[in-house]
Amino acid sequence: MEFKELPPVKEQLMKCVRCGKCRSVCPVFSEIGNETVAPRGHVFMVQMLRDGIVAPEQKVYDHLTNCLMCETCSVNCPSGIDIHELNAAARSYIYEHNPNLAKDLIFDTMWTNPAYLKNVVRMIWGAQASGAQSLGRKLGLTKLLPGDMPKAEKILTDIPWRSARSQLPAVSPAIGKKKFTVGYFLGCATDLLNPEVAKATVAVLTRNGCEVVIPPGTKCCGLPQIANGKMSTAQRLAIDNIEAFQKYDFDYIITDCASCSSALAVKNMELLLGTTEYREQARAFSAKVMDLTYFLIHVLDIHPPANDKAPRVRVTYHDPCHLANAQGIKDEPRELLRRIPGVELVEMKDANRCCGGSGTFSLTHYDLSMQILDKKMENIGATGADLVATCCPSCMMQLRHGVSRQGLHARLVHPVQLLSQAYEDQD
Amino acid sequence: MDKLTIQKELLKMFGPDRLLSDELDLMYYSYDSSFLTKLESTSPYAVVFPKSTEDVQQILRFAWANHVNVIPRGAGTGETGGCVAVEGGIVLDLSQWNQIVDIDQKNMQVVVRPGVIHAELNNELAKYNLFFPPDPGSSLMCTIGGMVANNASGLRAVKYGTTEQYVLGLEVVVPNGDVMITGGMKSRAIKNVSGLNLTKLMVGSEGVLGVITKIRLRCFPKPRARGIALAVFDNLDDAPATVLDVYQAGILPSGIEILDGSAIKAVNEFKPHIQLPDAEAILLFEVDGNPPSVEFEGNVIREMAGKRARSVEWSTDPQRMAKLWEGRSVTAAAASRVRPDGSRIFAGEDISVPLSRVADVLRAIRELGRKYGIQVVNYGHIGDGNVHTAPVINPENPEEVEKVLQLVDEIHLLAIEMEGTTTGEHGVGAVRRRYAPLEHGLAHEYMLKTKQAFDPKGIMNPGKLI
Ligand SMILES: Cc1cc2nc3c(=O)[nH]c(=O)nc-3n(C[C@H](O)[C@H](O)[C@H](O)COP(=O)(O)OP(=O)(O)OC[C@H]3O[C@@H](n4cnc5c(N)ncnc54)[C@H](O)[C@@H]3O)c2cc1C
Repeated sequence: MEFKELPPVKEQLMKCVRCGKCRSVCPVFSEIGNETVAPRGHVFMVQMLRDGIVAPEQKVYDHLTNCLMCETCSVNCPSGIDIHELNAAARSYIYEHNPNLAKDLIFDTMWTNPAYLKNVVRMIWGAQASGAQSLGRKLGLTKLLPGDMPKAEKILTDIPWRSARSQLPAVSPAIGKKKFTVGYFLGCATDLLNPEVAKATVAVLTRNGCEVVIPPGTKCCGLPQIANGKMSTAQRLAIDNIEAFQKYDFDYIITDCASCSSALAVKNMELLLGTTEYREQARAFSAKVMDLTYFLIHVLDIHPPANDKAPRVRVTYHDPCHLANAQGIKDEPRELLRRIPGVELVEMKDANRCCGGSGTFSLTHYDLSMQILDKKMENIGATGADLVATCCPSCMMQLRHGVSRQGLHARLVHPVQLLSQAYEDQD
Repeated sequence: MDKLTIQKELLKMFGPDRLLSDELDLMYYSYDSSFLTKLESTSPYAVVFPKSTEDVQQILRFAWANHVNVIPRGAGTGETGGCVAVEGGIVLDLSQWNQIVDIDQKNMQVVVRPGVIHAELNNELAKYNLFFPPDPGSSLMCTIGGMVANNASGLRAVKYGTTEQYVLGLEVVVPNGDVMITGGMKSRAIKNVSGLNLTKLMVGSEGVLGVITKIRLRCFPKPRARGIALAVFDNLDDAPATVLDVYQAGILPSGIEILDGSAIKAVNEFKPHIQLPDAEAILLFEVDGNPPSVEFEGNVIREMAGKRARSVEWSTDPQRMAKLWEGRSVTAAAASRVRPDGSRIFAGEDISVPLSRVADVLRAIRELGRKYGIQVVNYGHIGDGNVHTAPVINPENPEEVEKVLQLVDEIHLLAIEMEGTTTGEHGVGAVRRRYAPLEHGLAHEYMLKTKQAFDPKGIMNPGKLI
C-alpha cells in the first residue's frame, strides 16, 4: 500500500483546518498539554511526512505514538477526518523505513498465530506461578525487557493456564430451536487472558438458539499490528480471517471483544483492503460482523429470566473506545446490564473516556498510561460499584491493574459473564 | 543572538521539561488555525511553558537584553497567525498556566491566569450561578488570555458585547520585563474611570504590547430562561430588515444569526435530517432572561418576523431549541463538506459591516465567488453585521489557492468600502495587517507610536496587528 495513495492520506489530510477542537477531547493532550501531542499536531506531522518535509525517521514515529488511537478526536472532528487512520498509516510508512527485528518477531509471528502466542502466555504464566516473576523483579531481570516493558509487566496479572479454545468445542449446538448459525471470532486476548468471557459468550448464545462455530485457522484481528506500524501484516491477517470464515455460511459473525469487532468492521476493513482485489470479499465479511451486545439486544432481543432472589450488585460500565468511538455502540451494553436481575447500573463520570490501556499503549507508554488510568479510577471509585463492566479485554486488563493500584475492591467483568450467571442461577 | 545560544540560555533558566528546542518539536508551533500558516509555516527558535509571572519576566528580561522576539500563545486557535513566530523568536505557550485564582462571588468577579479554557471557566462559574458572557465558537479550546488579547466575542455579542466589556484589570509583563497592573493596583471596582484606560488598550493588543499574565473579569448572573425563533425568508433583503424591525420594537435578542442560501444548502447536504427549508436566508433569534420576559420577547419577534418571513417558529422547549439551533451549530463544519475534494478555509472569514449593508455585502460576496469560480458559504452574526465567509477550495491546488487569495483580498477591501472592517472578532495578526493603514489612516501612525512607547526594541510579537 503506497502511503500517499491511502484514502485517508489522499482525501482527508487537506481537510484539517487546525481548528484545535481535538485538543479539547484528547486524553493524552489533557495530560501533556503541548502541541506536539495534539491530534491536529499529528495530522500536521502526517502532512509533513507526505510532503517530504520530514523524513520517515524513528523520531517522528515516536512522536506519532503519543496517541492512544482511542478515536476520540476522530469522532469529534468537525471536518470529519479519521485522525487515527492517518496516524496509523504514517506509523506504517515510517516503520517500513525503520524495520526492527524484535518487533517483526512479535507482530509478524508471535502475535499472529494463536499457537505461538499461547506459548508466550504460558511462559509468562509459568513465571508467575513459580514465583519467578517476583524473583525476576527482585533480581532486576525484568529490566532487560525493551522500553517500558519492565514496569508494564505488572499489568499482566493472573494469567489463566488454559485458553478458551482448549476448553470450548469447535461447534456448540443451539439449545432448543436453532435460530442462527453464528461464527464466533474468538480474539487472542479473550482466548488467552479471559477464557471465562468466551465460555459465557458461547453459553449465552447457544441458550438463545444460536449454533456457535469457532472456525479453526483464525488469526489475530490485526489491531495491535495497525497500532504498531505493521499495516501490511494487518492486511495479511485480515485476508486470512476472511478466508477462515468464508468457508462457512454464517448468519452472523460475532465477537465479544470491542477491539476485534472494530478491526473487523467495515470502516477498518475498507482501510486495509478497500483498494485491493479483496475489497468485495472484505465487504461481504464485514457486513456480517457484529458486536455481541449489539447482537443480543437488536437481533436476539434477549431477556434473562426474572429472579427476585438475585443478589443486588452495583455495576458501573466503562465504554471501550473501540466500541463507543469506533462503532458508536454505547446503549446496548448498558441495556443488557439493565436487563440482568439484581444489577443496579450506576454511571461513572466520563464513562466514555479512554482508560489509557489501548492495547499495547500501556506497555509502551507505561507512566502516561497510568496517569490516564488514575483519572478513570477516580471516577470508578466515586461510584462505589462492586463490579466494573466493560467489553474489551485490553480495558479489562488495564482497569484490573487500576483496581489493584488503588486498592479498590471492585471486580472486572464482561456484561456477558453476568448474563451467563443469571441464566445459571435460574437453572 | 543566534538560535543555539538562545536555546542554551533558556535551558539554563527552565530546564528540559519546560522547554522545547528540538527542530521536530518546534515544527508543531508553526501554525494556528489560519489558512496563512497552512501555506507558510515558520518554526520558533524555542517554546517555553511559563507557570508564573516571574517566569515571564525572566524570559522578557533576557529577550529585551538580547533583542530576541517573544510571541505569546494561548491555544493556537487564532485565525490570523497571531501566535506564530513569523519573524522568528521564542514562543511562550501559556495554555498550561491555567489556574482560576479567585472566584469572588460577592463582587461577581473572577481572577484567572491566561491559560484557562473558556468553557472550563464557565463550567466553574456555573456552580456560582455566574457566567462570563462572550462565547466564541472556539469556547472548548481557546484560552482566556487569547480571548483578551484578541478581544474575542461570539454569537451573543449583540446583547452582551465583546471581551473588553468584562475585563476590569490586567497584570501585564511589558517588553522590558516590568510588571504593570491596569485598572487600579488594588481596585475591585466595577466602574472605574481613573487614569488613561490601559486595560482597554491591552484588550485586543494581540500580544504586541506585552504578555497578559493575570486577568480580572466581571461576571454576569446566569439567565434563567431561553427561547429560539427560526424565520425563513424568500428575499435576502427581508432578513436585515426584520432584524431592524425587531430592534425597533424594543427587543435586544441575545443572538441573531443568519444562514444564507449557500449555508442552508451546505447544512442540508451535510446533515439531511436537519431539513432546513430551502430559502434565500434564514434567521435564528435567541432571547434569554426570565421566563415571562423571554415569552414576551418571543411573541414580539414572532410578530415582527411574521411581517416578511415565509414562516416563523418559536420554541422554549430545550429539545426543540437544540434542533432549531443545530443548523447553525453545524454550519462551520458543513461548509467543509460541500465539496468532497475540498475544504473550507479560514481566510477573509470575519468581515463586519453595518446592518444596513449586510444584504449588499452578501450579494457582493456571492458575485465575487462566481467571478473567481469558487464556492463560498456565508453565515454569521447578523445582529452585529459580522459575516463569516467560508470559501471552499482544494487547498492543495496552487491555482485555486492563488485565486482564493485574490478573492479574499477583494472581500477585505469590500468590507472597508461598505463602511465596515476587515475583522469583527478574529483579529488582524499577520493576515490582515496590510489593511491597517487603509482602515485607520492617521490613527495607524498613533498606533505605531503607542507600540514604540511600550516596545521601542520591537521584540513583542513583531509582524502582527499594526
Ligand atoms: C473553530 C473556531 C471558531 C472560532 N470562533 C470564534 C468566535 O466566535 N469569536 C472569536 O472572537 N474568535 C473565534 N475564533 C478565533 C479564536 O479562537 C479566538 O480569537 C481566541 O480568542 C484565540 O484564543 P487562543 O487561546 O487560541 O489564542 P492564540 O491563537 O494562541 O493567540 C491569539 C493571539 O493572542 C495573543 N495572545 C495569546 N495569549 C496571550 C497572552 N496571555 N498575552 C498576550 N497575548 C496573547 C497571541 O500572541 C496571538 O496574537 C475561532 C477559532 C476557531 C478555530
